[in-house]
Amino acid sequence: MEAKWTKRMKKRTRKRSDDQQIRSKRKAMAHRRTSGSKLLMTVLYMVASCSAVPISDLLDRASQGSDKLHSLSTTLTQVLDSHFPPIGRVITPRPSTCHTSSLHTPNDKAQALQVSESDLLSLARSLLAAWVDPLVVLSASVNTLPHPAQSSISNKIQELQQHSKSLGDGLDIISGKMGPAAQAISTLPYRGGNDIGQDKISKLINFHFLMSCFRRDSHKIDSFLKVLRCRAAKMQPEMC
Amino acid sequence: MMRKGVEAVLLLSLLFFTSHAKATRFSPPGKPALTRCRSPEKETFTCWWEPGSDGGLPTTYALYYRKENSETVYECPDYHTAGENSCFFNKNDTSIWVNYNITVVATNALGSTFSDPVDIDVVYIVKPNPPEKVTVSVMEDKGWPFLRVSWEPPHKADTRSGWITLIYELRVKLEGEDEWEMHLAGQQKMFNIFSLRSGGTYHVQVRCKPDHGFWSEWSSTSYIKVPDYFHREKSVWILITVFSAFIFLILTWLLHMNSHSLKHCILPPVPGPKIKGFDKQLLKDGKSEDVFSALVVSDFPPTTSSNYEDLLVEYLEVYIPEEQELTLEESKDLHDSCLKSEGSTSDNDSGRGSCDSHTLLMDKGEAKEGERQTDQEESQTEAQRQQKDWDEEELTYTHEDMVSPDMSSGRVKTWPSVFSPLPQYTLSPLVQRSSLEMAKQHCLSDSMFPPSSTSSYLIQPGNSTKEALGPSHWEFSLSNKQPQLLHPKTQAHSDINISSIGHKQTPVSLQSPALRRTEYVEVQRVNEEDMVLLQPIVCGEGCPQMRQAEDYSKVRGVDSDNRLLLQREVAKEEVDMCPYEDQEADGATESCYTSSDINTNQKPPACSYTATPVQDNRTLPASGYVDTATMFTLPTY
Repeated sequence: MEAKWTKRMKKRTRKRSDDQQIRSKRKAMAHRRTSGSKLLMTVLYMVASCSAVPISDLLDRASQGSDKLHSLSTTLTQVLDSHFPPIGRVITPRPSTCHTSSLHTPNDKAQALQVSESDLLSLARSLLAAWVDPLVVLSASVNTLPHPAQSSISNKIQELQQHSKSLGDGLDIISGKMGPAAQAISTLPYRGGNDIGQDKISKLINFHFLMSCFRRDSHKIDSFLKVLRCRAAKMQPEMC
Repeated sequence: MMRKGVEAVLLLSLLFFTSHAKATRFSPPGKPALTRCRSPEKETFTCWWEPGSDGGLPTTYALYYRKENSETVYECPDYHTAGENSCFFNKNDTSIWVNYNITVVATNALGSTFSDPVDIDVVYIVKPNPPEKVTVSVMEDKGWPFLRVSWEPPHKADTRSGWITLIYELRVKLEGEDEWEMHLAGQQKMFNIFSLRSGGTYHVQVRCKPDHGFWSEWSSTSYIKVPDYFHREKSVWILITVFSAFIFLILTWLLHMNSHSLKHCILPPVPGPKIKGFDKQLLKDGKSEDVFSALVVSDFPPTTSSNYEDLLVEYLEVYIPEEQELTLEESKDLHDSCLKSEGSTSDNDSGRGSCDSHTLLMDKGEAKEGERQTDQEESQTEAQRQQKDWDEEELTYTHEDMVSPDMSSGRVKTWPSVFSPLPQYTLSPLVQRSSLEMAKQHCLSDSMFPPSSTSSYLIQPGNSTKEALGPSHWEFSLSNKQPQLLHPKTQAHSDINISSIGHKQTPVSLQSPALRRTEYVEVQRVNEEDMVLLQPIVCGEGCPQMRQAEDYSKVRGVDSDNRLLLQREVAKEEVDMCPYEDQEADGATESCYTSSDINTNQKPPACSYTATPVQDNRTLPASGYVDTATMFTLPTY
């Protein structure tokens, strides 16, 4: 696996110069979008035109996107915490009840560093894919969320969706470069229904719970991608 | 099992304390509180708590935690590594992306108290150690120093594998300052700081932060002293100063060398007067007598008083061309020529100074005239007088090179042309007179006659009338009793009231050219009031007859500008000697008069050639001359 990996990367490095020109052209078209999607769209176009983009750059872009995603979710969680009913602490569901908890992810560094790149990418993609539906539900129910910062939350949810989508697209491209093992995605269906609760308390609590789950999962994605980035950038130790 | 053990302990302690109910001051411990939990590398973590009151009894603390997926309660594995009131979780006990539910229990003899549980996730509580091996060095970039700070991540943090991604920040300040200068270095482990102060000592500190975590503490301060770069700059300035001084000296030397030519460029020398026969060297030698003797005409200024009269050569020739008002034009020309000579730009050398003084004299004469209030403001008398002034002036200068007869213009450049024949004459009064005459005649006639004829004319009468005119002139001058007569100039001024001095013979000679006609008036006497009474010379057929019209011989007064105002005079004057007047039927006009009612300051009024009647009453022009050209109509003879 390692040898294949390095061989592939050497091939791509050779054709790097050709990509520079095309890359600059493509960049102009992505101004409309947000930064995260912009990056990934650029990645898409680059990859579509010529597939010699080094994977380390792709992973670097992806990890930047995941970092942004996690930052957004952290902010959102803190906003929700500011107006959280005290009783929620008591009756909040346990994190183990997140719908993504069934996915087996490494629990410490030793375990994480032993996971292969394809598996890491697969995990990241699975987690990301698992949150597409819940985010839709959340964005739908934020309008009725009894929270003082409801509009801010609504905006952030929108951003989350966009970032998540662009990151997912980018990861798909990366997985395409990494071989068939990376293509496998574990499905983690969301079974929470279409709404997050009927009354105010449950809405708040469920919303908060979902966001906490998302925050952790986004952190996992970010961590995995950064580990992958460091592994791919053997020639550039300053990246890690 | 652990839980059971805890419960057992609690029960026992309760029993123990209840059996000793006398302990009034003791109480169960206060509620401890978990203050914080931190993980330096996302592999281990430590929790610290704050104990509550101990209740007066020795209290023990215990930390119990529970992971999210199980119900098992564990106790802190290590209470000592992290210090007092802490619990250290090593790698084996640490799981990431797992919620820990941690509780601290304080226990004393009377009881135990539980703290509030805290849920933590290790990945969210990462606070790395400060960066290590911070090195600061001074480096140079094109002569300017800068600091290069480099460091290493904390040795515990595993950044190589990408497990932790750290970003760094450093701060710099000068020694003695309070404000730090912050710089975000990102993921790089090296940073350059520019714009340093020479000779200053800088303090540098670095800290780091994981991508989603807490900032570390600042590293220990690194001190660096920037060497003095002032000397290098100074040497450059010294070089520049030396060069500029050198160039300045060269320029000064050049300037000094060429000072003369520069002076000539900037301040061209003012031409001074050059006088023929004036020897500067003699002047420098200090022998003024020798110098001036060369210039002075032996008879001028006249040393004997008897020669005053010699200077008062005055006779007026009136040339009346057939169909022109000669007098008018004469006076006018004289006037013009006088004025012209003022403004004439001679192409001779600087000797023109005399021209300027010439005009000055004329101005003086005008002023004096105005004061006199004589009625002789007829321009010809004035012209005569001025001409005399000119002549006198010019005699003092003897320039030969002043000949610039601009005859072509038809105007009188009187005095140069006047003096053109001067060298021919010796310095004698007669000569002077003749020259004066000539000058006068020239002045008068120049404008009216073609130059050729003029020149010829000039000489002729001068020669012929030399003798003849003499006595008449001098007679006139003798009658003047003015003390001012001593001064030749003044004499000239004062005597010039005589407008015309005629000589019987002169008309003959003067009339030799066919074109000319002159009238001559001779002095009859000077009355008590110092008025010169003129008598027209009886002439024969050749005398032109004047037409009587109006005359402006009476002075009405002097206005504020010292101008003599003439008025039309209808009544016949007292003294009227013009012969042609008698011929006229109209007795209103006079040629020369001095009305007795005219007050004069001692100057005999000058009567000039007013043979031509005055047509209109006009004020004197600003120059003080009577423009008789417009005043008189041409008489036809």
